[in-house]
Parts: sequence; structure tokens; C-alpha cells
Amino acid sequence: MLNFIVRRLLAILPVLLAVSLLTFLIASLLPGDLAYVILGDQATPENVAALRRDMGLDQPLWWRYLSWLGHVLQGDLGRSFRTGQTVLQAVAERIPVSLQLMLMAEFIGLVIGVPVAIACAARAGGAFDRFMTGSAFAMLSMPSFLMAILLIYLFAVELRWLPATGYVPFSEEPLNNLRFFVLPALTLALAEWPGIMRVLRSDMIATLQEDYIALAKAKGLKPSRILFVHALKPSSLTLVTVTGINIGRLLGGTLIVETIFALPGIGRLLVGAIYTRDLVILQGVVLLVACGFVIVNFIVDMLYAVLDPRIRHGHA
Amino acid sequence: MTNIAAAARRRAPIFLVAAFALLPLTERAQAQKPGGSITVGQELDITGFDPLKVGVYDTSTFTAAAAIFDTLTTLNDKGEAAPKLAESWTHSDDYKSWTFKLRQGVKFHDGTPFNAQAFKENFDRQKDPANKCRCAFYITNVKEVLAPDEYTVVYNLTDPSVNLPATITIQSQNNVVHSPTAWKTKGDDYNRNPVGTGPYILKSWTAGDRMVLEKNPNYWDKGRPYLDRIILKPLPDAQSRFASLQSGEADIIWDDENDADNIMKAQKDSKLTVHTYKGSGAQVYAFNTKQAPFDDVRVRQALVMSIDRPKMSQAISNGLSRPASNPYGDGSWVKCKDDGALPFDLEKAKALIKDHGKPVEFKMLVTATPRGRMIGQVLQQFWKRAGANMEIEQVDQATIPPRAFTRQFQLVPWRIVDLADPDPQMYANFRSGSPLALANFVDPELDRLLDHSRVTADPAARIEDYCAISRLINKEAIWFWTFQNTYYALSSARLKGFPKIYNGVIDVSSTWLE
Repeated sequence: MLNFIVRRLLAILPVLLAVSLLTFLIASLLPGDLAYVILGDQATPENVAALRRDMGLDQPLWWRYLSWLGHVLQGDLGRSFRTGQTVLQAVAERIPVSLQLMLMAEFIGLVIGVPVAIACAARAGGAFDRFMTGSAFAMLSMPSFLMAILLIYLFAVELRWLPATGYVPFSEEPLNNLRFFVLPALTLALAEWPGIMRVLRSDMIATLQEDYIALAKAKGLKPSRILFVHALKPSSLTLVTVTGINIGRLLGGTLIVETIFALPGIGRLLVGAIYTRDLVILQGVVLLVACGFVIVNFIVDMLYAVLDPRIRHGHA
Repeated sequence: MTNIAAAARRRAPIFLVAAFALLPLTERAQAQKPGGSITVGQELDITGFDPLKVGVYDTSTFTAAAAIFDTLTTLNDKGEAAPKLAESWTHSDDYKSWTFKLRQGVKFHDGTPFNAQAFKENFDRQKDPANKCRCAFYITNVKEVLAPDEYTVVYNLTDPSVNLPATITIQSQNNVVHSPTAWKTKGDDYNRNPVGTGPYILKSWTAGDRMVLEKNPNYWDKGRPYLDRIILKPLPDAQSRFASLQSGEADIIWDDENDADNIMKAQKDSKLTVHTYKGSGAQVYAFNTKQAPFDDVRVRQALVMSIDRPKMSQAISNGLSRPASNPYGDGSWVKCKDDGALPFDLEKAKALIKDHGKPVEFKMLVTATPRGRMIGQVLQQFWKRAGANMEIEQVDQATIPPRAFTRQFQLVPWRIVDLADPDPQMYANFRSGSPLALANFVDPELDRLLDHSRVTADPAARIEDYCAISRLINKEAIWFWTFQNTYYALSSARLKGFPKIYNGVIDVSSTWLE
């Protein structure tokens, strides 16, 4: 087990290095001159040249990358030239919001997707299976911003059960905090459960075709035990993978939902940075989100080893 | 005719005085009700208040600045300068020097006194070349600010300014007054911990979530403000911002005419109030007259005459946008009998382009936003019908000013915002030699008119100058105007005391809840 962990950790390092390089290059290759953005209406040639010198933009690319990387390794991702906040400061304020949204969305998605998948697999081809598969396709086809607007209209404007926008920290008002998150999390979850359901359903159906399932039935095991123990666990490898990818994507991918619901999360920070061309924030956030994604995938790999002992010992 | 006109001008002051005398009788007392809290839904996150850090305030910041800070003067309901931190003012004969007498006994939120020295320090800090503040660009016309005694401030200008007291009312980074003690002690943190003299004090601020302003119990204007608290929330999505107003989470929201559907819904809802203000100014476009094909006046005139503004208004804002024929708009005190607008005439436009002889092909800069793209496409269609081919070049908003200033454009969108006096923007946009005179068009008569309009106090004479300027610009078609500035705010019907949206600023500092 220790060997497995060490091997995976060593594999992560070059990935992280590649991520940091790509992040830096993307920021550097964006069209437009950073100095012009900062100077705005005072962008005279002399001012531009002076500012570029001050910011080190006149140095070669490789020098700038190594300098930036050096600062990153010391925990310094830079300071926004618009607000004066450090990147870590800006991100730290918003991580709780995005994390909560992601966790709630994933939880709701799993709560809906997993039972439905199991029920569909148990009677593959039946009426329920066809109905839910069709519903899943319909849900997948609906863009999240449309779902968001519909949910807001229904629950906030018409029924007035839930707030349309806004946020209250959990530490301040726990109940209200959850009320603010219901609609955004539901919006994301409704887009998540179809993928979860379809992946798990097809794996379950395949597993239920295996000989050992037939043997278990022949031995007289209860159907529920067969479903939830002998079929579900082997089928969950792909589910774990999909969930891991979803979590990684949700870390930075809730831009639209955070914008619509006015949640002060990382996605909103990213959108704001893009609009104002705040490259320091942009670079820092992308790097952190990418690292988060890599870490989540590492955890998924660890879960593989738990779920399938053959992987742990290096055999397939 | 000449004698009659002259006689009318001489009697104008008497008419004005008479009109003013009548107005107080029509004032109806309203029952202001203290207490309560309101939430303002804004489009943008506020980035901060330190002029040295943020450079220029945006729409959202203005709303907060109007509550946290004061300006020397403010605009009354008639759009004229009225006292605020300054109680009275006088000017030199040449309008190059303005002296303001300050209100006494005013304190900043940190307890330090507001006086002439504090005001001067604000100004000097922005003007100091060592600070490299972007904000200095907007006060290049001010040579210096002096504090000859504790409660007297003197503006010495580089150029005459007939209406300076009215133009310094906007709650911009150059006009609001910060506590010198606060910025010195807080350093970099001052950007997010502003201290002013205004009716509200910044209580807490969670970036991206909310800013809480609380009533200043020691405000110099006794009895004000009325509300206990103002909460400012960035709600960037137009649909959910409007939904927040409908569901009661927000009490007033910013909106604009491109969100026509929601404005029209609000007009039908008895629980909501639609505040609309016809500002001066316009959405404008500048041709680069030093580059082909716009070095030919016929091409410029043809493009202007091809624009069907009512149809364009219908396409982009369901008809809410108001067509513009001059840079001033209905909201300005400059009203012209003849502004020289070129009429919509597609046939004549085609003839002019044919007369030009060469193919008309060019690029137009638009902002890379749905709004910018739509406007670009509509104009593209109009001009195609006249025989011109326009290619849309999308750039992000921040790229437009540098491209404009370095003259790397053929056609660029701009805006003349609502201000109390046309002088600052007309002079900046059209006087030869100005970095903002984007059209690069030099005309001695235009320069003479612009110079003259700022050294005479006679409104009638100034109107004549400005209308002559409009005719000249329209004839040469160096800039064109599409729509006038119309500002909107949607609010709960319970919100009262909301003033006109001068300068596009949503100022809730005097409001109360019924």
C-alpha cells in the first residue's frame, strides 16, 4: 500500500509542474498588454514603458516563469493590482462558499442518481428504466442557467419559499445559510445526477450479468444483498471516477451558477478577474483550481485501491 | 428680429428669477420616516475606494461613495449646484479661479475635523506625480488647490470653467473627500476601509457578498440620514437581480435599457417603482478622420444617414432607447432649434458612397459582450444596405481606451455621460490637441466656439455656441450619436425619497422606507 501511495505521489509532481507552466503561459499569451489594462486612459507610451519595467514585463518569458514559480513555492501568488488583495486572501474568503456549494450539489446528485441507477439496473428495460433514462437525457440537455432561472422563478418569485440570490455564512445563521444554498445546489445537482445515474446503471447491468452473481442467486442470497453488496461495490469504480471528476470540475466550474445566484465563491472571483483582466488573480485561481483537481484525482486513485484490492497489489 | 432676440436675452434673468420665486410654493412636504434597512442590488463588485488604488470609480462604487462621502456641492432638483460641504462660492472674472467657503464643524467618521487643509491634502495626493494616480487625468484642468485659511478652498484652473460648482457634484474619485488621517494610518488597507464625512459609515465588507453601511449618528445635516442601514450586494446576473427585487430580497436595483423586458415587467407591477432619468449626453461613435475611408466626409455622412435609429432601438431594447441627434440630449439645458442632424436617408447615403468612388470597407471596434456584439451587427446591417462593408472587431472593454488613445482604430464606440455641464466632455472630445479628441479632426471655428463657450456665463450665449458646435460636428460627421442616455433603477414601491439619477449615480443616501 505504501508503495502504491508513493508511486502515485511521484506521478503528481510532474503533473503539477506542467499545470503551473501551462497556467503561466496561458496568462502570458492572452492578447493585450497588461500595462495598457492597468494604465487605462493614461496609457501614454512613456507610462506604458515605465510600468512594464516596474512589473518586470520586459524580462524574457522563462525568467518571468521561474520568478513567478519561486514566489508560488513560497506561498506568494501575487497581489491583485485592482483591489490590492493577495490572491490567497481573495481565494480564502471564497473557498468556503464554493466548497459548500460543490459538496451539497454532489450530495444531492448522488442521493438522486445512485438509488435511481440501482432501481433501473434491477429491472433493466422496464418501464421505470426507460422513463428515468429518458428523463436523464432531458436533464443533461438543459443548460444550467436555464434551470437556474426556472427554479428562481418557481421557488423564489412565485412560491416565495426560498431566496433568489444572496449568501449568509454558516457560522452566522446556519439555517439561513442552507436556505440560500438549496436552489444553487439543486441547479447543479439536477445537471449532475443524470451522468451519475447512467454510468452506475450501465456498470450495474454489466455486473449483474457476471457468473458470480448467478452463483449468488443460485445459493439463495437475498436480492437486496446481491444488489447492494455484490453488485454495487464492483460497479462503483466508474462512479467514483465520475464523482471525482465532477468534484474537480465543480471546484472551478460553477461560474454561471455562482454568478446567477450571486454567491461570493471562487467562480465569481474568476469571472470578475476575466472581465477586468486581473491576470494575477486569474493566474492564481487557475493554478489553485488545477491543483485541487489533481489532488481530487489522487484521492480517487486511493479509493480505487480500497474498492478493488487487485489494483492495490499492482495486478489488473 | 435681431432687436427682439436681443431684448429677450436681456430680460432672461428676470424671467428666471420670477420662475424660481414661484417654485417654492409648489413644494409638497413629504413625511420622511426614520429607521429600517434597505438592500441595493448592483451589477458590479466594488473594488475599493482609494483613488490611488482603483483609479476610477465605477457605477457600483458611486452608490457607496454617495453614502460614505460628501462632495463640496450637490445638484438640487432643478439640476443646479447647491451647497453641501461648501456653503457658498465665488469666482474670478475670468472663471479661472473659484473660491469655496466650507461648512464648519464637520467631522470625518474617525473623528478628525474636515477643513480646508484636509480637502487640499486629498487633492494634492491625487495630483502628486510620484503617486502615478490614474485619477489625475480627470483633474488636469486644475492647476492647484489652495487653503488660504481653515475654511476656504481655492481652485486655480488652467482653463476657464463657467460651471465648476456643478461639475464637481459627481461622487467620483476626484470629488469625494477622504480622511487624511485614515489613509495615512491604514496604508494599503485604506482601499477597503474608507473614511469620509458622509451620512453612512462602512460597517463591514465581505468581498463579492455584501457591504454594510450604517447610519452616521453625528452627520452634519441634523435629522439625516433616515435609514439605519444600507446593504450593497453585487448581483451580476440581470435576471436573478430582478427576481431578487420581485421576491423582496433587494429593495432597489440597477438596470439599463438593454434589459428592456424586466423594465417593462416592473412598469406593470404595482409593488414596484420604475425610476427613469433622461440624462444629458449620448452613446457616441468616433470616426478616425485621418484614415481612409473616413478621410472623406461623404463616406462619413453616408454612414450616419444610413442609421435607422427607431428600428435599432426596437432591436436592442424593445424601443426604450431614445434616438439622439446631437451630443447633448433632451436632458441637457442645451436645447437647440437646429442641431444640424443629418436625416435618415438611405438613397442619399447610397449616392454619397457611389460618389466616393472606391469600395467602402472598414473595421469597427465593439466590446466583446452580448450588448456590444448586437449593436455591431445592427449597424453592420444598416451600412450594408447603403453599400458599405463593416467588419466587427471584438475586444474586451479594457482594450478600447488604449486603442482609442493611440488612435489604433477606424471607428470606435464611446460615451458622453450625463454631467451637469457639457463643457468638460465637449472640450475634451472635440478640442484639437486633446487626447480624447478621437476623430483627429482640426477645425479653427470648432476650436473658437469651444473656447468661447467656457468664458461666458450667459446661458443663452452658451446655448448658441453649443448648438453651433453641434451643427458643425453633424455636418462634418466626425462623430455620430445613436441613443441618448437613459438611466433606470427599479425599486420596491415602499422606497421613497429617491433622487434623480444625476450622472448615472444611484444615490440612496437620502431615501427612506414608507
